[in-house]
Parts: sequence; C-alpha cells; structure tokens
Amino acid sequence: MDTSSPASTTGLGDLSDSGSSADHRQQADVIRPPAGHWRLALPMAGNEAALLIDRRALVANLGLLLALLILGALSLCLGSVTLSPLASARALFGQGSAMDSFLIHELRLPRLAAGIATGGAFALSGCLMQTLARNRLATPGIIGIDNGATAFAVASVVGLGVSLAPPALALVGAATATALTFGLAGGIGTRGYRFIVAGIGVGAVFGALTQLMLARVDIDTANAAYPWTVGSLNARDPVSLKVLEVSLLIGLLLSRRIAQALNVLRFSDSVAAGLGIQVTRCRRWALMLSVSLTALAVSVAGPVGMVALIGPELARHLSSPRGVPLVGSALAGALVMVSADLAGRLMLAPLEIPVGIVTAVIGGPVLLWILLRPTRKVP
Amino acid sequence: MTRHPRGGSLAPGIINQTPADGAPRGERRRALTVTVMWLIAALALLCLTSLLIGAGEVGPLTSLATLVGHPIGAATGSDEARFVMTELRGPRTLVGLAVGASLGIAGALLQAVARNPLAEPGLLGVSAGSAFAIAVALVLGASAATLRVSVAQLGAVCGCAFVLGASRLNAVGQDPIRLVLTGAVLSGLLGALTSLLLLMDQRAADEIRFWLVGSLAGRRLADLQAILPSLALAATITLTIARPLSALALGERVAVGLGHHPRRVRLLAIAVVAMLVGAATAVAGPIAFVGLVVPFAARAIAGPDIRRTLWLALILGPMVVIAADIVARVVVAPSELSLGVITALIGAPVLIAVVRSRRLPTL
Repeated sequence: MDTSSPASTTGLGDLSDSGSSADHRQQADVIRPPAGHWRLALPMAGNEAALLIDRRALVANLGLLLALLILGALSLCLGSVTLSPLASARALFGQGSAMDSFLIHELRLPRLAAGIATGGAFALSGCLMQTLARNRLATPGIIGIDNGATAFAVASVVGLGVSLAPPALALVGAATATALTFGLAGGIGTRGYRFIVAGIGVGAVFGALTQLMLARVDIDTANAAYPWTVGSLNARDPVSLKVLEVSLLIGLLLSRRIAQALNVLRFSDSVAAGLGIQVTRCRRWALMLSVSLTALAVSVAGPVGMVALIGPELARHLSSPRGVPLVGSALAGALVMVSADLAGRLMLAPLEIPVGIVTAVIGGPVLLWILLRPTRKVP
Repeated sequence: MTRHPRGGSLAPGIINQTPADGAPRGERRRALTVTVMWLIAALALLCLTSLLIGAGEVGPLTSLATLVGHPIGAATGSDEARFVMTELRGPRTLVGLAVGASLGIAGALLQAVARNPLAEPGLLGVSAGSAFAIAVALVLGASAATLRVSVAQLGAVCGCAFVLGASRLNAVGQDPIRLVLTGAVLSGLLGALTSLLLLMDQRAADEIRFWLVGSLAGRRLADLQAILPSLALAATITLTIARPLSALALGERVAVGLGHHPRRVRLLAIAVVAMLVGAATAVAGPIAFVGLVVPFAARAIAGPDIRRTLWLALILGPMVVIAADIVARVVVAPSELSLGVITALIGAPVLIAVVRSRRLPTL
C-alpha cells in the first residue's frame, strides 16, 4: 500500500489548501486564478509563493484514489475464501484468526501491493512515452518494450549462464528494445502509425525469442513460466516487487519535476524551446523513466501491456486536458490492474485467469476504438 | 506483358523491378524463367532435406540409403528409416507444401485486394479469426477431425469481413499502416479471447494446445486429404480472377473499361483468401508472416504483376514454410519449436523494412 501513500498525502494536502484559497478569492486585489483553478498562495516573509491547482484534475485524482481504496478493500475480502469486511480489517491489524491473518498478510496483501505497483508503473510509463513520442498509441507494450524486457528476463529464468536478477536483465532488455525501436524509427519519426508498426515488428522478434528460449527448457519450467509470460500477478518475486515499489515512488517524484516541461512538450519542439524548455533533456529523462519503470514492472508481473494504454486514456478523460495527467495515470493504471486481477480471480472461481488476458480483452476494444474513431479535421 | 509506368499514380513501381529492368522483353522473360527454374530446384532440394533430416535416431545418410535402395558408404537402409520417412517426414513435407502454397497465395491475393503491401492474413486477424472459431467449436462440444476445416474457413471469413469492413470506416483503408494496426489489434484481441476460452474448458485446451502454436509436427496424410477439395476449388477460382485482379491494379475505371466487375472480383478473391487461410490454419495452426514475406519476395523477383507473383508465390510459399519447419525441427533438437516462431523471426524484419521505406508503396 505504500505506493499510494504519496498520492494520498498530496491529495489531502491539496484539500486542506483549497479551503484556505477561498479567503484569498475574497480579497479584491489578489490576482484572479484562471477558470477552473484554485490559486493557493503561501504567505512568506517578503515574497509570496503561489500555486495553481487544477480543480478538475484534483477531483479526478481524489475520485480515482477513492475507487482504488474501495477496490483494494474488495480484493482483500473476496477470493476463494470470502472474508467479511470486519474479519479482514481485524486480520489486517493483527487481531484475526491465524487463518485469516495468513490469507490477508501472506496472500492477498502482497498481491494487492503488486497490482497497485505494477499498474501504476505501467500506466505512468505509458503516459510518459505517449507524451514524449507525441503519439497516443506509443505505449511501451505496443512498441515492443515489454516484449524485450520479457525476453531478457526469461533468459535469466531459463538460465543461459547468466546469474543476474530478473529486474536487472529486464532493464537491459527494455533498453535494447527501446534503442531498436527508436533507432529504426530514425527516418520515419515517432508521430505516425509507422512508428507503431515498426515497434510491433520489434516486439514480434522479441516474442519469438522468448518462445525459442522457453522451448529449450524442460516442460515443467516452461509451464511454470507460462502465466508470467502472458502477464500474471501470481508468480511475483518479492525482491523485484520491493525494487519496483521504491522505484515507482522515485519515478513519481521525478516525473512531477519534469511535469511542467512535459506539458509544454505537447506543442511543437520550437514552441517548447522558445518557452525555455530544454527539449532533448526533458525527453531523455522521460524516456529513461518510462523504460525503467516498464522493465521493473515486467520483472514483477510480466508483460501486461494494455494497462499502459488504458490507464492514461482513463486519466485523460477524467482530468482536465490542460496538463499531462501523471499522477492520475498512475492511479488509473493501479485501478485497472487491481480490478482486472480481481475479475480474473473471481470469474472462473477455482481457476484463475492471468491478469494479462483480462486486460487484453478489455484493452483490445479500447485500442480498436482509438484506431477507428472518426478523425477530427484540424482547421 | 507491358511494362507498368514507374511512379505513376495507377501502378507505382512497387518494391523492386527486376534487375534486368531495361533489357528487351524476350531477354527479361528468359531471365525470369531461369530464376523460376532455380527456385523450383531449390524447392525440390528443400523437400529432400526435409525428408532426410529429423530430430530422431534416423540420420541423413541412413535415410538417403533407404531412399535410393542400396547402401551408401557405411550407412544402409532400414525398416525404421522407411517408417520414419513414409509415416512421419513424408506427410509432414507434403502438408508443408500445401500450407505454404495456400498462405503464400492468400497473402498475394489479400495484398492485391486491400491494395496494401502489408496486408497479411496473420497480421490482419484472418488466422486469428479461424483459430478463434475452432476454439469456440471445441468448447461447444465438437470434436476435432471432420468439422475443423469448414469452421476454420467460417472464422477466416469473419476475420476478413471485419478488417475489410473496418477499412471502409473513416478512411482507414486509405492508410495502409492504420489498416494493419487495426488488424494487429484484432489479432491480439481474438488471441486473448481464445486463451480465455481454453482456460474455461480444459478438454478443449488439451485437444488444441499443440495445434494453437502453429506447427507441422505429427500431421497425417488424412489432414491433407481433408483440405484438398477446398484447395482445388480455390485454385480454380484463382485462375479465373488472376487476370481481372491484374487489371484492377491499374485502377477501378481501367478494370471496368476492360470489361471486368471489380466488386465481384474482390468478393471472389476474399472468398479464396478465407478458403486458403482457413484450410492452412485448420491443418497447421495460425502461422503469421508467411503471407507477408512471400509476396514481398515474389514482387522483388518478378515485378508487380499479380499474374506472375501468384505463380512465384506458389513456389516461394512452400519454400519458406518447409525451410522454417526444418529449422524448427533441428534447432532445439530433441524437442520441437513452433513454426510461428521461425516465421516471425524471418517476417518481422521484412515488416520493419517495408514500414521504413520512405514512400510507402501502395498496390
């Protein structure tokens, strides 16, 4: 749960701030905030520092957080053994029976944490990648980065004489796939559909390599690795999860730092440069963050690519179009991941549907809609 | 056969012209004939290799000795080798021939109909459609064997209909890349739905798990017999529509002026594609990228006219599939690799190359 804590603290902070902003609006001589914003002024000795808070984004993020909390509670309660909310709350705080406490602490809580962390990481990296490539379809899953990370991580599982941890190898794989995709896109740019199809080609090669490596090991190892290769929260590795949680926190903070630059990056390069943004540096940071978050998330849950598409899409619809919804994407991604995992666990009860299949079934129509919707003509 | 004008809007110089582009007509034709002869020889050699090489105990020399009927060096023929060749490798090679030819021709036809060099049955979701249809039929209680081919063809028709319908929506068809993307997404969606169905039904999963990865291993002559009628029908229709399709490449109006019916020709071509892909998928499972690589190579050799690329696809398709099958057998020796893995490794670079080419060719 520690992944959602920074979001929740900023959210609470914002709430209390919004109350004080009302007094400020009553003062006539204070600068009026733009429509749909709250202006939060912090009186300091001498100079006044002010903060603009986007009202709609704040409400959207709080709503997402609330939904995530409810779903989190549900996924703690529901399962092959259904606990009452009271029993699970008691077990959560160490008061329940040994059985309940085992269920909550050993099985469901780590799974929930993994769902939130991977969902947040996938969606945040998707949002970053979409912004830096200026392409709504350019999410790491679609342009083959997931597959690259998976191929290298599978190499470590299969054991090709390398004794590195899966997260490290996944990082190498993701970096390789990114370099390949962007390198191949050198002549064609990242904006159009061509970039996406080139990425699909790179992804297909890495997918085939993964299959090749899995074919070399004995059937038991391959079967054990199967749910992980389609994306599942079942086979999570505790060390990788810890690494992911820490780096998701760092990633959120860092992405907040470049948020302003990313907002401007949605214009053309020359406009961004004219507004004083170091375009290349900002892109490089965003790319690095996106690739490493994807790789670490893949090392926990396997390639659950569609979350990186649905999460930012959802966040963009909910929050205002003024800024790049970074925190919102992470929250929405976590929400999508947790609900998909819950659905996968409950739908065919004794059996478990890997979360990657659930998100593919949900995400496919979304992607089709993006591709087939009428294009608006820019006047 | 006249030369198509280069760079015109009707029939742009497609991928590559023949090397002997500027040479007189007779000379070019002769060069092409020689190339075709070489290709046929290569195909024969590949078939022989496919008979001789395998993962089991029976080595190439023993197989060859059995084949020619008397000992070669130290190796002598054996009954075991005879059994392996007539019961395992022989049928497998024949099935590979049929599957490769079907997929190659289907790719060439689909590209001509969609006027898109990236249109490929595997990428556009046609194969995924037939795989999904088979999974549905199995879950509903059908057993394998006879039902398969027609069900797979029905699914292929649905896949074709969806993608071509989507191509009429919001000008998706004008952008070849967007169409391919739509098809790829449809493939992914159908693949996920197929795995969902198989999770729900263990019996069906056990029955088709091996088939679903795309492979020629363990296919019998009976499988081939089941698809032969539809292959024959498809071949007949293809022969009748090759000429109109070639005219259609010059534009709708030219084709109408020459007395063809574009709508009817397109419908027939799609029916043939569905028939061929359905048959190939029913036997070997979904195999992607063959329909992309084969027409690409055929155009590089013979130029853009579909009447030539179809014949070349008939030779090149089996070559690709059989070569991939040999590699799939040998690479991870005691076990088998799925055919789709090898074709993806060959096909994805071709896909990227086509996408990267600056002026995306339209057909």
